[in-house]
Amino acid sequence: MNTGQIISGTAHIGLIAFAVFGGAFKSDPLPFEVTSVTAISAEEYAALIDAPRAPEAVANVDTPEPPAEGQGLPELTSTSDAAPDLSQPEVTQTPPPDNVPEVVDPVPVPEAEVSDEPPVMQPPQEDVAALVPEVSPRPQPRPAPRVAPEAVAPPEPDVAIDEVERQETVPDAEAAENIEPETEATAPEEATTEIVTEAEQVDPASAAPSRSLRPKTRPAQPQTAQPQTAEQTQPAEDTRTAARPQPDESAVNDALAEALGQAGGADQGAPSGPPLTAGEKDALRVSVQQCWNVGSLSSEALRTTVVVKVRMGEDAKPVSGSIELLSSSGGSDAAARQAYEAARRAIIRCGANGYDLPKDKYDHWRDIEMTFNPERMRIK
Amino acid sequence: MMRYILSLLTVLMLWSFPATAQNGPLRIEITEGVIEPLPFAAPDFVSDSTTGAEFGRRIAEVIAADLTGTGLFREIQPEAFISRVTSFSSPVQYADWKAINAQALVTGAVSVDAGGQLVVRFRLYDVFAGQELGQGLQLVGTQDGWRRIAHKVADQIYSRITGEAPYFDSRVVYVAETGPKDQRIKRLAIMDYDGANVSYLTDSASIVLAPRFSPDGRQVLYTSYESGFPRIYVLQVGTAQRRVLEQQDGTMSFAPRFAPDGRRVVYSLSSGGNTDLYMMDIGSGTSTRLTNAPSIETAPSFSPDGSRIVFESDRSGSPQLYIMPAAGGEAQRISFGQGRYGTPVWSPRGDLIAFTKQSKGRFHIGVMRTDGSEERLLTASFLDEGPTWSPNGRVIMFTRETQGAQGSASLYSVDISGRNLRKVPTEAGGSDPSWSPLQD
Repeated sequence: MNTGQIISGTAHIGLIAFAVFGGAFKSDPLPFEVTSVTAISAEEYAALIDAPRAPEAVANVDTPEPPAEGQGLPELTSTSDAAPDLSQPEVTQTPPPDNVPEVVDPVPVPEAEVSDEPPVMQPPQEDVAALVPEVSPRPQPRPAPRVAPEAVAPPEPDVAIDEVERQETVPDAEAAENIEPETEATAPEEATTEIVTEAEQVDPASAAPSRSLRPKTRPAQPQTAQPQTAEQTQPAEDTRTAARPQPDESAVNDALAEALGQAGGADQGAPSGPPLTAGEKDALRVSVQQCWNVGSLSSEALRTTVVVKVRMGEDAKPVSGSIELLSSSGGSDAAARQAYEAARRAIIRCGANGYDLPKDKYDHWRDIEMTFNPERMRIK
Repeated sequence: MMRYILSLLTVLMLWSFPATAQNGPLRIEITEGVIEPLPFAAPDFVSDSTTGAEFGRRIAEVIAADLTGTGLFREIQPEAFISRVTSFSSPVQYADWKAINAQALVTGAVSVDAGGQLVVRFRLYDVFAGQELGQGLQLVGTQDGWRRIAHKVADQIYSRITGEAPYFDSRVVYVAETGPKDQRIKRLAIMDYDGANVSYLTDSASIVLAPRFSPDGRQVLYTSYESGFPRIYVLQVGTAQRRVLEQQDGTMSFAPRFAPDGRRVVYSLSSGGNTDLYMMDIGSGTSTRLTNAPSIETAPSFSPDGSRIVFESDRSGSPQLYIMPAAGGEAQRISFGQGRYGTPVWSPRGDLIAFTKQSKGRFHIGVMRTDGSEERLLTASFLDEGPTWSPNGRVIMFTRETQGAQGSASLYSVDISGRNLRKVPTEAGGSDPSWSPLQD
């Protein structure tokens, strides 16, 4: 028996049951609202409707009676108007005559004093002709001998130049015990963010813009990095570099080696633990760039990007002699050498006291590859 | 099921991320640095004789002045030195030089040989790397030529550290000016690039203008009013002998400049109220006309490869810069900024053109690329004009004249970055400098 028939049968039985026993489930009718009405006749209805509509017509209308024959015309009476009073008003006082203005002789026009000499142009005084510009000009970099990523105000004249700012500490005569060693006050050297030429210096007395926008440089042409081993540029280091594994030139080989878990070789086991955070990497980058001086580089070396490899000791100081040039792009071998030497000076100088790197992540920063890209420094 | 898939993915990510991120060395990219003079130490060159010691002191002074004068280096004063260099061959105490932040160290020795010749040896060290930069060198010269030896040593150091070509061992020819403005005496003078060793090439009998070195530095072209009209002369620097170049009657020649081959001269010739550019073969004296326009064409300068000429023309209504093929032909305008452009000079490196610009009542020395892009004004004053390039194309020397009746002309130099603007010391006033190539 299929489902349809079951449903149909059940529904029919239900319907029949309702029809048969439906009366048993009757309930009292619901209470309903009662309104009382009064029946009236048609006349009463008409009277109700018409009553206020029109007044009853009056059968008798009063009409004036016509005058009887023989009666005379009624007398017409009239009173004459009184004549207007035409008497002249009394003249009380004659107004005084207006004063005639005195005729004054015109003042003679002075003769123009014309001289052949041109008037002497006086330059306006600076404090008088000061115009307030509607739009405040873009802050102009101040000329300074040092150009750095962040501008530094000129330090006080009696302050020693150092990379960190430090207050002067002097022995406190009243203190029982002098804990802090006596040090000299130091401050970073004055710096500006870009080179300011004489033509670009703003004359404070002039409100007019006197600086034209520097045209943008062309985007650097894509250069393919030419792998360059340390042997080619540093013949003197042959003995030291010969024992070291040469970097693989084939990216495919690298990828294969990585996939097979052979990357790094014996001395580069995969480091364990969490990697350096972005903040820790940034701190390292900022430390190195403070010492990366490109001011003494040739124009060509300033177009050369170098990749430098450095081995770090556990004290976070670069291992002497471990710095090598991995590759360069954008310039000749000679330019790459100068760029590499500037990078090497930066790594050694700023790492002389050890970089601020987390000791527990030594495995992650034991070997560092730094790319020095001077493109942004070139246009300063 | 979904939970199972998600947890599997998480496990996979946790497992795979460190493996891919941490293989190999840590990589960072440095794009911001600083631009500041590099501190160096140049102790007096040592010597075993009194004469040699005196030369050693003076040579070290000239080297320090050369390097400091570039604006790229800063000398550390000898008072700050911790260790003394007493012997040329003894090892360098790097720690002592690191302590005073000397990033480069120059040591040297001077001796006088049996023939009275000065023998100068020097070494350059990268203090922080703890190694010598390049090989040490030995130079031999006369005692009178000690300054040239010092310049050559400084050239080697400059070149070794910066990578730029050298320029200290070079000379400048210019117009020496003495006397008040209305009675000024002008003579041709020649000096070392740093203002030393001045000598005069002409007397004060007639006005001289615009001297220009030949590519080999042995000849100077200049314009003189000796005959009452401007005429072009060629002068041999070594012998001071001179001769006038061929010229048609009724014409005026000026603004001459050598071609890179040294055999031809390009110049302006004014005839019948019109000024055009001409090229003359010095040997034969024959001239070829390069431009033919009713406007004024002047101040021609060759590109270093000799293929093109940049010049000044007012054909558009105001003086602007144009480039044309060296044999003449259609010229292409390259200056489009506001103001008037003049006296273009092609850099010896070929990449830039220096010029004078007059704009808003001020004069500027500026540089632009050879297609006119990247124009940059380096100076600004009442009157700056007449730029000339150092042999390595890194420095520009020019004339700066001060305002007023008492105003005088002086020579100034500026780095092409716009830094290091400084006055060149001359005995009296100076104008119209022309920088020689590097001496042999």
